[in-house]
Amino acid sequence: MIDKNYFLLNVAGLVIGTVFIRGFFIALSSKMNISIKVKELFTFIPAAIFPALIMPATFFHQGAVEVLGGKERFCVLMLAAVACFFIRSTLFVIGFGLALLFMISKIS
Amino acid sequence: MNYFNQGFRSVLPIISGIIPFGAVMGSAFSEAQLSFFQALLMNTTVYAGAAQLATVELMKMNAAVFVVLATGLIINMRFLLYSAAMSPYLKDASPLIKFLCAFTLTDQSYAAMTANQDKFHTNTEATHFYLGTAACMMLTWHASVMAGFIFGNFAPASLNLDFAIPLSFVALLVPTMKRRGHQVVAIFSALASLVFYGLPLRTGLIVTSLLSTGLSWMIIQMRRKT
Repeated sequence: MIDKNYFLLNVAGLVIGTVFIRGFFIALSSKMNISIKVKELFTFIPAAIFPALIMPATFFHQGAVEVLGGKERFCVLMLAAVACFFIRSTLFVIGFGLALLFMISKIS
Repeated sequence: MNYFNQGFRSVLPIISGIIPFGAVMGSAFSEAQLSFFQALLMNTTVYAGAAQLATVELMKMNAAVFVVLATGLIINMRFLLYSAAMSPYLKDASPLIKFLCAFTLTDQSYAAMTANQDKFHTNTEATHFYLGTAACMMLTWHASVMAGFIFGNFAPASLNLDFAIPLSFVALLVPTMKRRGHQVVAIFSALASLVFYGLPLRTGLIVTSLLSTGLSWMIIQMRRKT
């Protein structure tokens, strides 16, 4: 059982810290002059962060398909990434990936 | 169709991944024996799934407040980069809109925004689109967390619905990789995240993000010179 005061202290700290992090540059946006180089840098942020969110979660996931060494999620993700270059639809990529993973899991 | 609706609709395909994650979060609140009010309070005010999941686990173990806060805030540090990237769009927005956009900043809403950035002609259109994505994310997240709290983790494991989250990131990432430089940074980030995965307090994500941003800066500088 988590103590109420301990819980509230932690939540208050998380709220203040997270709002500060999320709002820091947005709050300063009207006072900042952003150069073209920095604007270009912003276009790299998805490429810099999203693979770091995706990769460990799939690569280190231990599955049950022995033929693929338990790395069926990683294999499906790679195939979904390739498919995404041809068909740029979020719904298609998610549906394709989930269906493929389901089939691989059932076949093995 | 207005931009708010477009933004709202752009996130609909992603919610198949958000619902199971929300259910896991809700059941974690329940397992930690938090009251409905406490779960609701944390979920609506912190509003950061990965950080909430990690910090609830630490609070269950009665970890020091410093450790809980450091863990949660380090996980959330990536929002600083999103905030920087969002700032040009919000330059002329009112303080209320700025606060709403900052408070609702998530991986998915930011990703949906960047994947569709070519559609916007003005900052107002971009802001309306973003608020639409944020509204859809908030509704889905809160509903699924509260459902998970009440009913437990209801998502059938055999469907692997949690896998929809990485898949949705792939779908949102690929359209933003317009040049070879973006692809180089994405591959570097993927490999670096595996190398730094074992770092304590989940700092691997921050280290990878900073190194990848540094590489991006180098690529931009090299491009300018040639």
